[in-house]
Amino acid sequence: MSKTSENPQTKHLVGRRAWRPAWPARPDRVLHRRRYFGTKRSVLKLSGQFNPKTLKREVVLTDKKPMFWLFGLFLLVAIPTAVGSERFLSLFGIICIYASINVMWTLIMGTAGLQSFATLATVGVGSYGAAYLSITFGLPWPLMLLVGLVLGIAMGFLISLPARRLDGLYYALLTLGLSEFCRNFVTQNEALGGKFNGALFGSARIVPSDMMTTRLGQTLAFLTTFIVLLVALAVFRWMNGGRIGLLLKTAATSKEDEAFASAIGIDWQRARMIVFMVASGVLGALGAFYSTYIGGTSLQIFSLDLLLLMLAMIVIGGLGRAEGAVIGTVIVVGITQWFTDWGPWRIVLAGALALLSVLYTRNGLFGLKEQMREIRTRRQALHRAAQTTKYAEFLPQQAPDIHDKSIIAGRTFERELREKLRGWITPEIIEEHRRSPLGQHSDHLERILNYFRKGPLPDKYAVYTEVPFQSYRVVALSGMPGVPPRIVDDKTYGSLDEAYHAVFMRRINDLKAS
Amino acid sequence: MIELIISAAVLASMYGLVAIGISFTWASIGMLNLAQGFIFTAGGYAAYLYAQTLTNMGITEGPVMSIGLLVSGMAGSAVAGLFVGSIAFLPLQDRANFRTRGLIATLAISLIGTQLWLIFFGPQSKPLPPIFGTGRIEIGSGGVSYSQLGAIVIATLMLTAVIMWMRSSRAGLQMRAMMMNPLGAAVVGVSVRVTGMRVLAISGALTGLASVMLAQTFFVSPTSGVQPLTVGLIISLAGGLGSIPGTVIAAAIVGLAEALTARYLAQSLVPFVLFGIVVLILVFRPRGLGGLLEDVRE
Repeated sequence: MSKTSENPQTKHLVGRRAWRPAWPARPDRVLHRRRYFGTKRSVLKLSGQFNPKTLKREVVLTDKKPMFWLFGLFLLVAIPTAVGSERFLSLFGIICIYASINVMWTLIMGTAGLQSFATLATVGVGSYGAAYLSITFGLPWPLMLLVGLVLGIAMGFLISLPARRLDGLYYALLTLGLSEFCRNFVTQNEALGGKFNGALFGSARIVPSDMMTTRLGQTLAFLTTFIVLLVALAVFRWMNGGRIGLLLKTAATSKEDEAFASAIGIDWQRARMIVFMVASGVLGALGAFYSTYIGGTSLQIFSLDLLLLMLAMIVIGGLGRAEGAVIGTVIVVGITQWFTDWGPWRIVLAGALALLSVLYTRNGLFGLKEQMREIRTRRQALHRAAQTTKYAEFLPQQAPDIHDKSIIAGRTFERELREKLRGWITPEIIEEHRRSPLGQHSDHLERILNYFRKGPLPDKYAVYTEVPFQSYRVVALSGMPGVPPRIVDDKTYGSLDEAYHAVFMRRINDLKAS
Repeated sequence: MIELIISAAVLASMYGLVAIGISFTWASIGMLNLAQGFIFTAGGYAAYLYAQTLTNMGITEGPVMSIGLLVSGMAGSAVAGLFVGSIAFLPLQDRANFRTRGLIATLAISLIGTQLWLIFFGPQSKPLPPIFGTGRIEIGSGGVSYSQLGAIVIATLMLTAVIMWMRSSRAGLQMRAMMMNPLGAAVVGVSVRVTGMRVLAISGALTGLASVMLAQTFFVSPTSGVQPLTVGLIISLAGGLGSIPGTVIAAAIVGLAEALTARYLAQSLVPFVLFGIVVLILVFRPRGLGGLLEDVRE
C-alpha cells in the first residue's frame, strides 16, 4: 500500500474492469435468450452492448459462472478417463458420489435452512434397504434405485415430523444421533449382516462385477457416478434456483424473516418440507446407487466420523453453495483417499482444514473472495482517511452523506483561516491589544479581531458590568433567548479596557487550542 | 425388578452427567459443545495412563488407585474442556454467527480428536482396573454390584456438590448470571471469557467422571465417546437445554426406557425407542421438559 502511494504513476489508478467474454452480435437478429423449457428462466445471462472501442454491436456474458462450471466438470470427467488407472477412476468415482451427497445436503442446509445431520442416515437407509432387497429377492438395479428413492422419501417424512416444531440447533442435535442409532440397529440385526460387522455384499451392480476388472468397466462405473453427480446438480439447480428457492430465500436467515415471509403470504414451512422431501428422496436413491456401485454396503456409511468428514467438505468449500460442496469434496476426498499411507493423520489434516476455515473464513473457500474484498476496501478507506485533508474534520466515508457540500467547503475554509491566524499571534500583537483594546490596530491584529467578532453566539465571551466603572467580569453567552449568560471565572477587572483584554486573551487561547 | 431399576439408575446417572455438561455449556455460553465425546474419551485415557503408571509402580488396587482414577479422569476431561474452549470458544465468541460456527468447530475438534486417540493409543479398547471392587450386595430376589452402587452414589454426590457450589459461591453466581442473560452479566462486570472457560472445565470434569465409571463396563477406545455424546445430546434436548431438573428427569426417563426395552423387547430396538420418546417429548414440549430458558434468551 505504502509503496504504491510513493509512486505517483500508480497513485491514481482507478482499477481494472473485470474481463467478460464477448462476441460480435448478429446484425440481422435481435438478441435471443435461450430459456429452460417451460419456464421463463434464461440459461445464460447475456446482455447486448456497443463495444466502446470498436463501436460494434456485441453480446456479453454477464454471469461467468456457467463457464467455470463447464470447465470444472470437464476436468472432473476428463482427468480420470484420460489417466485410466484403476486407482484414479475409483478415487474420482468416490468423489462424485460424495459430492452428490454433499450437494443434496447443501440443498437441505442452505436452501431449506434446516440444520439436519440425518443425511448419511438417509443415505444408509436407502443403501441397506436396496442391498437387502436385492440380495434376498434378486432385485435388478433400476428397481434398487426406485426402492432407494421410496425409502429416502419415507425417511425424509419421518425425520421432518419434528422439524416443524423444533428450531435450528435443537433439530441439529436431534438428528446428529440418528446415524449412530442406525449403526447400532444394523450391528444387532442378523438379517442386515450384523454378524459380519454390518457388511452386506452381493447385490446387483450397474456394471457387472466381471467387467469391473477391465479398464472399460471401471471407466463405465466412473461415468455412472459422474452422471449421478450431474443429476444431483440438476436437482439442486431446479430447487435452489427455481421458484421454491426464491420463496425460501425470503425466510432464510432469521426468525424475523420467517415472520415476514408468513406475513407476505409465503408458506415457507411447506416449501421447506418439499425441498427436504425431494433432497431426502435423492439421498435415498444415492444410497441405493452406492450399493449398486460397490455391490453392497457396509457400516462405514453410518459412522459419525464419515458424517463429520462430509461436514468438513461442505465447510471447507463454503456452506450453502453447490460449487463449495463439490470443491470441498474434491479437496477432502483427495486428501483422505490419495494419501492412504499417512494413516489417521490425513483425517486430522482434513479436520484441521475445516477448523481453520471455520475460525478464519466467513464462508469457506467460496466466501473468501468477498471477504478479501471487504478487508481491502476497509484498509483502503483507513489509508485514505489517514492521507487526506480534503474533507476537513469529516472522514472521507462521511462525505457522501453530507448533501450540502458548502458545509464541507466552509469547514475547510475555517480551518485554513484558523491556521493562518494562529501563525500571526505574537507577543507584540498581544501587547498592542493590551495598550489599546479599541481603536485603530495593525493589519494582523485587526484581522484576528474580525475573526473573533464573527464567531457564533453560543459560548461567545462578553463583558458584564457589575458596578459601572469599578468592577467588570467575563461571561460566556448562552446563545439562546431567555437563557442568561454564565460567569466564566471569579476574576473581576477594575476597568473596561482590562476586561476587553481579558476577553481577548481567552479567545486567543481558544484559537491556539483549536 | 430391582436389577432393572438399578441398571436404569446407573445408565441415567452416567448419561445425566454428560447431558448436564452439554446443557450447562449451552445455557451459559451459548455454544453447543459437540466435542463432548472427545472430552469424554480424554478423561478415560487420562485415567488409563494413571492406572498404568500406578501398576508399573506395583499398586493395583486400594484407595490410591480408586480415588486417583476418578480424579485423573476428571482432570483429564477438564483439561480437554479447556482445550476445546481455547480453540472453539475464545476466538469465535464475539464473532458473527457464533452458534453455527461454534457447532462446526466443535464437530471438527471431535473429528480430529478421535484420530489423535487412534494415533497415540491404537484402536484396541483399554480396560481400567475396578474402582469399587468386584463384590455384590443381595437384595431380595436381585442384587446390586459394588460398581453399580458406587456409580450411582458418586454421580449423585458430585452433582449435588456442583449444584451447591453453583448456589453458594461467587463463581457460581457469575455462572448463573451468564445463564440468565449473558449480555446483562457482561454489563455488570462478569468476564464472559473467564466464566465460559470455567463452565467448560466443570462440564468437562462431570463428563470425565462419567467416562471413568462407564469405562468399568465398556472400556476406553477412540470411539467410545460417540454413544455417550449422542445419548447425552438427546437427554439434554429432552430435558430442555439449560435446565438441571429437566435434564435429571429426562435422564431418568431415558435410562428407564433403555433398561425396559433391552429387557422386554430387543436390544436392537433401544435406539429407536429412545429416539421415539425424545421426539414425542419434543413434539409436545418443543423446549424440552424444563425449558423456559430459551424464551428468556431470545
